Amino acid sequence: MTSYVGAAFRRPMVAIAAIIALGGTGLLAQQVPYQRLLKAESEPQNWLTYAGSYKSHRYTALNQINRQNVSQLKIAWAYQMQRAGVVETSPIVVDGIMYLTEPPSTVTALDVRSGRPIWSYTPFIPQDVIVIGSPPVNRGVAILDDSIYFGTVNGHLISLDAKSGIVRWDTTVEDNKHGYYLTLAPLALDGKIIVGVSGAETGIRGFVDAYDAKTGKLVWRTYTIPAPGEPGSDTWGKGDGWKSGGGSTWLTGSFDPELNLLYWATGNPAPDWNTENRPGDNLYTDSVIALDPSTGKMKWHFQFTPEDVHDWDANETLVLFDAQIGGRARKVIAQANRNGFYYVLDRATGEFLTGVPYAKQTWAEGLDPKGKPIRKKGIAPSNEGTLVFPNIQGASNWFSPSYSPQTNLFYQAAREMGTVYYKGEAVYKPGTAFTGGGGRAVNGDDASGAIRALDATTGKMKWEFPLLSPGFTSLLSTAGGLVFAGSQEGNFFALDAESGKPLWDIQLGGNVLGIPMSFAVDGKQYVAIAAGFTLFVFST
Amino acid sequence: MRLLTGTIALLTILAAPTAARAQSNADIQAGKTLFSGLCVTCHGFDGTGGNGPPLDRPKLLLAPTEAALRNIIAEGIPDRGMPRVRRVTDNEMRQLVAYVRSLGRTARPPVNGNAQKGREHYARLGCAGCHIINGQGGSLGPSLTEIGRLRGADYLRQAVIDPGAALPRGTLPIPARGYSEYLPVRVVMKDGAEIRGVRLNEDLFTIQLRDTTGKIHSIRKSNAELVRKETGASLMPSFKERLAPAELNDLVAYLASLGGVQ
Repeated sequence: MTSYVGAAFRRPMVAIAAIIALGGTGLLAQQVPYQRLLKAESEPQNWLTYAGSYKSHRYTALNQINRQNVSQLKIAWAYQMQRAGVVETSPIVVDGIMYLTEPPSTVTALDVRSGRPIWSYTPFIPQDVIVIGSPPVNRGVAILDDSIYFGTVNGHLISLDAKSGIVRWDTTVEDNKHGYYLTLAPLALDGKIIVGVSGAETGIRGFVDAYDAKTGKLVWRTYTIPAPGEPGSDTWGKGDGWKSGGGSTWLTGSFDPELNLLYWATGNPAPDWNTENRPGDNLYTDSVIALDPSTGKMKWHFQFTPEDVHDWDANETLVLFDAQIGGRARKVIAQANRNGFYYVLDRATGEFLTGVPYAKQTWAEGLDPKGKPIRKKGIAPSNEGTLVFPNIQGASNWFSPSYSPQTNLFYQAAREMGTVYYKGEAVYKPGTAFTGGGGRAVNGDDASGAIRALDATTGKMKWEFPLLSPGFTSLLSTAGGLVFAGSQEGNFFALDAESGKPLWDIQLGGNVLGIPMSFAVDGKQYVAIAAGFTLFVFST
Repeated sequence: MRLLTGTIALLTILAAPTAARAQSNADIQAGKTLFSGLCVTCHGFDGTGGNGPPLDRPKLLLAPTEAALRNIIAEGIPDRGMPRVRRVTDNEMRQLVAYVRSLGRTARPPVNGNAQKGREHYARLGCAGCHIINGQGGSLGPSLTEIGRLRGADYLRQAVIDPGAALPRGTLPIPARGYSEYLPVRVVMKDGAEIRGVRLNEDLFTIQLRDTTGKIHSIRKSNAELVRKETGASLMPSFKERLAPAELNDLVAYLASLGGVQ
């Protein structure tokens, strides 16, 4: 009894000490209100969102690891995933705790000082889960207030208590029996959790959803494919093609709080390689759409690849920065698209500003003044096969680019690879492949890749670092003048952000499909990357 | 009476499936179109083999039944370099399976040559210095124990007369799918030392070679002045000038007989 009273007395003192330790912010550890997310870049010791901030720069202002000392980088700790699978995750770190996703849909909290798990949560995933179009992966979590949010391969969005991993709510986003599934890290806004879906290869009708962060109730849904009579519906022909038209939304979007616009990118039309049932541009597939985050209402759109026949989803990360263009300050949004072109748009209006190839492409003469591709003849999939660059997985894909405000360079791993594209028949049957063909990759010694540093405003290449093969290489740039990257052959390495010169490398023994990020704890900077089935954390 | 019953049975067999066979012929033709696009690069036109095994044989070792064949097409054989073919409809899969099954019902073109004599040429030319058959021989080149099952005769002929043009691709898990195996690489180190060998593996910063003496070299690329991949070449010499046409046929017949070809 006495000790209980003592404990009760001591507790306020501990809480006050914690508040002081946090710099008097008045926040309890791990509580991440929207205000902290808005200013994520001001606390570089943490990594609060999938891409580091709402601007999706995947850049750290930490510079303790830098050009001078990166050669001394070594493993601080490693964490083995609980089961084998494809690991394409970007961890987040909040006040000494890392939240990591493991395949297919597990969330684990780790103590970043030791690498020891604090808790782990695995939802029930049915044996007959339908995942067509990608491996069953998970790319990360979102945090808001004291909850963690993540999607599952059977189409659920789940909220967990950040301290314990206990479920707060579990919502079905859409029926997995029809091929809907979630692989992306959700995006947390003010009181809302935004998610998109995968599944265009089963002929879903894509959408972006906003859920109430506290209750899991749907606040709004915006379809990426208009129903008959809605604007853009005339781009789908007269049939029912729109109902199974794809347009998935499978990667995390970006957000501009000043313009109050949420940017989300959309995927390929379905069926992928056969347009018979979808004559027209197929809005809003392969596009970026700008949404009012309160209502989901579309403010503008820009379509990268109209009437796509190559499966070139435009879901790649959307990077926000400000630039001087033609003597005028512009707020822009940039993307290295899967179709081989690098685009810069005005993010207030969607106006096309720049578009240049950043990888080998053989399908377009170029872009017209509005940014629409000028398509070459004879590039469509055929019965006998048509060789086109980029390949089915694209010049880029889900893997993250990085933008450094220090260098004003947009860093992108480009895949130099072709595919022989085939047209096949397409019969829509819910929950089965609805693709209308396929492809044979031109791989091995005939394919390659490169990490390219592009002038972010013009897309002009400043340097490149060749890759042996076209992997799925995500990048992190740092205030220490570095770009971190991995390779399909298991290398993890650091390049000089100004010159592309390699400064450090290590062999991690597995395909580096993880997404690098950085954090600090106890005044020490770390860099984290998953390779094979293991997460590695490095420090000097 | 017994004879009559037999005749009726025979007539039934010949007459009844006409409609089914017409359907099946359409499937086979459609399957051939799919095969020409998706499979021909490795399995050869009409399934006669190439970089991948010939399929024009009555029994496929890994796909003895229709279900097994379907499964192999859908899932691939990742550790032998065969990719999975996922994006076909049920109907297209049925057509593809029908075509591949039909290949075994057509007569295989005979391999012109005397396998027994070919075996003698194999010994005389010292092929066993670099190749293993049934556990005997050197290991610088690929094992030939099952080569007749794994490769078509045309490919084997080319491999003997122009081996650099016929390097196997992506049939081993290392280096990886699609890469040329036994690729000769010439390396000049910064200190002037020179190494030539076949590539065992490679990553961004290192390369592993095996030279003709069997020695394995681990090379950090930044320590080398030159790393040249000799695409189109092979450490194996061409035997074109050392074999008369009939002898070449014999050797190909011997190689094609290896591995229990039916």
